[in-house]
This record gives sequence, structure tokens and C-alpha cells, in this order.
Amino acid sequence: MDVSEEKRNRNSSNYDDTVDNPTVDWQVSGSNPVSASIGSYTQENLISACPSSCSPSQMMDSFGQTLWYDPTSVQQAVGYGGGFSVQNSGGNASSSSSFRGNIDRSLEMGWNLPNLLPPKGNNGLFLPNVSSFLPPSMAQFPADSGFIERAARFSLFSGGNFSDMVNQPLGNPESIGLFLQGGGTMQGHCQSNELGEPHNDASIVVKEPNVRSSEQSKLNVPGSGNVSEDTQSSGGNGQKGGETSSKGFDTRKRKRNGQNSEAAQSHRSQQSEEEPDNKRNKEQSPNSPGNKTNSGKQQGKQSSDPPKDGYIHVRARRGQATNSHSLAERVRREKISERMKFLQDLVPGCNKVTGKAVMLDEIINYVQSLQRQVEFLSMKLATVNPQMDFNLEGLLAKDALQLRAGSSSTTPFPQNMSMAYPPLPHGFMQQTLSSIGRTISSPLSPINGGFKRQETTGWEGDLQNVIHINYGAGDVTPDPQAAATASLPAANMKVEP
Amino acid sequence: MASADKTINTDVPEKDVFAIHFLQSLSNLRIQNLFNSPDTTNYRVRKIKKAAYVSMARAAGGTSRLWSRALLRRAAKGNNKIVRFPRRKRKVTWKISSKRRRSDQRAPVVEDAAERLRNLVPGGGGMETSKLMEETAHYIKCLSMQVKVMQCLVDGLSPK
Repeated sequence: MDVSEEKRNRNSSNYDDTVDNPTVDWQVSGSNPVSASIGSYTQENLISACPSSCSPSQMMDSFGQTLWYDPTSVQQAVGYGGGFSVQNSGGNASSSSSFRGNIDRSLEMGWNLPNLLPPKGNNGLFLPNVSSFLPPSMAQFPADSGFIERAARFSLFSGGNFSDMVNQPLGNPESIGLFLQGGGTMQGHCQSNELGEPHNDASIVVKEPNVRSSEQSKLNVPGSGNVSEDTQSSGGNGQKGGETSSKGFDTRKRKRNGQNSEAAQSHRSQQSEEEPDNKRNKEQSPNSPGNKTNSGKQQGKQSSDPPKDGYIHVRARRGQATNSHSLAERVRREKISERMKFLQDLVPGCNKVTGKAVMLDEIINYVQSLQRQVEFLSMKLATVNPQMDFNLEGLLAKDALQLRAGSSSTTPFPQNMSMAYPPLPHGFMQQTLSSIGRTISSPLSPINGGFKRQETTGWEGDLQNVIHINYGAGDVTPDPQAAATASLPAANMKVEP
Repeated sequence: MASADKTINTDVPEKDVFAIHFLQSLSNLRIQNLFNSPDTTNYRVRKIKKAAYVSMARAAGGTSRLWSRALLRRAAKGNNKIVRFPRRKRKVTWKISSKRRRSDQRAPVVEDAAERLRNLVPGGGGMETSKLMEETAHYIKCLSMQVKVMQCLVDGLSPK
């Protein structure tokens, strides 16, 4: 379809400085059921999209130092990270209430979260690794998960300025946290991207909670990442401007961000429910469901409005992948199923059948049967002796002429035929056939031989006149009437022995 | 037989239009003196069948439909020879080939059936699946209309 094609083209053009691997992975996984690929998908993305430059050992050391260094900040982290854990756990009220505020509670939170998160898939990667990693080095820190969350949260605040974050005491932990996301496997991969992208991951991770409640959105306002930029760039910043932090990591994010910067605020609360089910990397999309606009960012809100630019605006549904490819896929599938329903009404006896495959088989069989019927009937017609067509032609010409006089017919032939004869009397066929029956009496077969020849010799002129009238554009001569009327009595005369 | 669906327009003209077109094509065949000569029945059958299809394509809206366009083009090409529906050579542009590659990935069940449909519906070679189904719907409507017309004719002409 043209629309989907163009969407695809636009999507590909938007992927300016994307890492190719993520898009490839996304494409592949986009075609798979979303639910099945959540866990592996996020890992792939994290791994492939973390070309950080800092070494993991550096991170760890700084992390350890900072942890040792600033115990007081952990409280803050806990406080801030409370929202994060809350959201990550999928709205677990108990966890949120317990988590907010105190370091004392962080312990239970820290232990709660790993239990809560693994089922979610996304977050399961994050915290268990963290908790397993940290205890050896900093046993005195009870709030492992809280700390990480705070670090993650912190990344939001620092915006795209990772260098500042590094200098800050808690700059590294987030990277460590992110580093730990993928478990040990991330070590090699995250090196290059740790500096540049960790906040993205953090923002991704934290994004879900932000979307959930306005409180988090407030917290995120100064922050970085897609979320904050969504809130801030309500004025319609450019796509790229609003998504500096997400560069290179999530091309879809970027596109969605830019497109939905206006829509984000208004839709955030609405679409917040979509997050828990969505993949972690598509953080932006839950906020602003994939609107496949080419340029209209404001149109993101009005997905139901008729598109001014002629494109169809699609919204990601709850619990579904929001990859642009999978969205196009979904649109296409919906189109196909809609058409199949339409076909179901056409094909008789398909109402009981359910399932695409059987339905399609039925449709194919029906088309084949119709074609066979045409062939069979044409065979029958061939044998039934087509000289009767003369009468038909005469009748046809007569009726057609009568109708033609009423309608103006000067259009070219093919269309002319359909357009010139709409005012045909209903049941023209029946009239024709009844008149055929009248003019042709039963004892035809013995006369057929001579009949034919006489007909051909005598009628061909008339027939040609008739045909000429019918086919010509406005070549209505006065003769046809005479010819038509003459042919009929002639037939009658010839038929009657 | 107007379609109630607003998004998919598959209106076909009334039966009379089909009848007129068919009769005209038959008379056209007449002019060629086919039936007077003792030709093989097969030849006549094929001629009639071809006339039926062409008239159906014309009645259904001429070239406004993909399948009718392909049908007419096919008929115009093979005018001199008796051919059994040669496949129209598909223009392999980048768009179409990319569509093909993608559609192979998508719902292979649907795509297999779509491939079979493409063989049946004239002009289905270059269409994507969703467009193909739209064309199939219209084609089915027109085919059933044509069948009705021919049935009426046969019933009217057959000796009682």
C-alpha cells in the first residue's frame, strides 16, 4: 500500500545516526509476537546500543568510591528512586509506599524489587544483577537497589550532560547501574556507550514511573532523557532537539519524541497504562503511541482526526510493540483482516468458518468455482446455437435506442456502455428473454439449416446497422428503427412456417 | 448490488449492464461468422468464454479496476492467438520486490493463499495482499453477476 510504503520510507530516513544493529534487531523482533521477545529484546538493545567508552572497571571503582563516599546521598536516592521502583514494579502500591522516603525501608524495597521485577521481564534484568553485584563491595549499603535507582534517577536530572554526571559523586553509579542491567554480559559492550548512553537507559528505566504520575513528571522536568524533553518541548521542538540524550540508541524513541512532544503531555496520563507491558526500550512510545506522522507533530494528538496530509495516523495499542515496523505491520494486518471480513460477506457459506486460512481457502474455491461456471455456461451457450442472438440484437437495439434517445451519450465506448444504460428498466433481461421466447417458436430445429443462411444473408446488413448504432458514438441513424422493427417481423415471418 | 462498506468501494453495475455488454460481445462474435463455420466446438467455446470475460471487464467499469484492466490488456494482446490466460509479466520494480520480500515474512499463511489468489484473479501479480483482497471482492461480485447473466441467457435460449 502506498501509505505504508511511505511510512516505511520516512521511518528509515529518520534513522539518521542510529546504530544499525538495534534497528535490525528491532525489525526482526518486530515481526515476532511482542510478548515473546520482550526479555531477549531488551537485552539485545542494551547490548548493541551501548557503545560506551568508559571501561567497566573504572565505573566500578568510581561507583564503589562514591558509594563509600556519600552515604547521605543514598537517602535521596531512595527517595527519588522510590517512584522508579514503584513504577517498575508495575504499580505495586505497597512497594511504592514502603519505598518512598527512608533508607530504613530501602532494605525491604531492595529485596522486594527483585522479587517484583523479574516477572516483568524488563526490570528483571536490572535489579537482581545490581543486588548481586553490589554486596561484595559495599556490604554496608543496604539500599543497593535504591541506590541504583537513585543513580538512575539522577541521570535524568543531569540531562544529556554526562560529563557533569561523571564528576558528580553519583555520576558513575548510574552507569554502573546501567552496566549491570545486562548482567555480566554487558561488560564488553557497554564500554563505548556507557558515557554517552547510560542516561538513556536510565531514562528509559525511569521513564515508566514518570509517565505514571504527574509527580514523577515534575521530578523529571529538570532531568534529561526523553521524558523531560517531552514535557519541556511542548512548544514543539524539533525531533532531534528534544532527544539529544537518546541519540543513537533508540531511533524510534527519537522519532516518537519529536512527534509526540506536544502530545506527550496530554497523553501521558492516558497512555501511561501502556508502559508496564511495553518493552523497556520503547519508553517513549507508551507515552506517545506511535503516530506515524511524517511531519505533523500536532497531529499526534488528533489521531482520530482526518489526516490533513493524507496519511493514516496509527496509535500503538496497549500492550503492543511500538516499533514503527511492527506498527506498519499491524496496520497492514488490520487492513487485511478487514478485507477478509468483507470477503466473508460476499462468499456464501463463510460465516461459520473462522480462521484466516480456512477462509482464504474458501474464497479461493469460490473464485475457482465461479470461473468454472463461466466456462461451463459458455460451453452451453456455444452449443445452444447462437443464431438466436439476432433476435436478441434486434431487441437489444430497439430497447437500447429507446433508452438512448432519452440519455445523452457521447462518451467513448467502454464507459459509455455502463453510463449510458443506467436508466435501463429493471428486468430488462427478463423482457429480452421473454420476447425471445415469443419470437422463436418451437419447431426451429428443422428450419435451422436454411434459417441460418437466410438469416445471415438477409440480416447481416441489419445487424451491422444495429451494431454500428450501438458501438458508434452518437451515430444514430434513422435506419436502425426501421431495421429493428423490420427484423422482428422478418423473424416472425421466417419462423412461422 | 451496492456495497455497504464505505472504505472499500466494490460497487458493481446492475445485471442489465452486464447483459448488454455480453450480448454485444456475442454479436461481435457473430459478425466474425464464427458460428456459421463448422469450427470445433472448443474454439467456439473459448471464443465465447473470452467474450464473456471481456464483456464482464467492460461492464464492471472498464479500466477503473485493476483486474479488469489486466483482463482487457491480456485480451488485447492475445487477440490473434488462442491463449490460455498468459500471466502478465510483472514489472519488477524495487517497490514491488521489496513488497514481496516483506510480505513473505508476514503471516505466511495469508501470503500463501494470496499467492494462489493472484493466480486466479487477473492482474493480481503486482498487487499487495490488501489490495488484492479488495480486487478479489470486486472480481467475485462481477463474476457472480456475469454468471447470472449467462445463466439467464442459456435458460432463455435453450429449447423448451
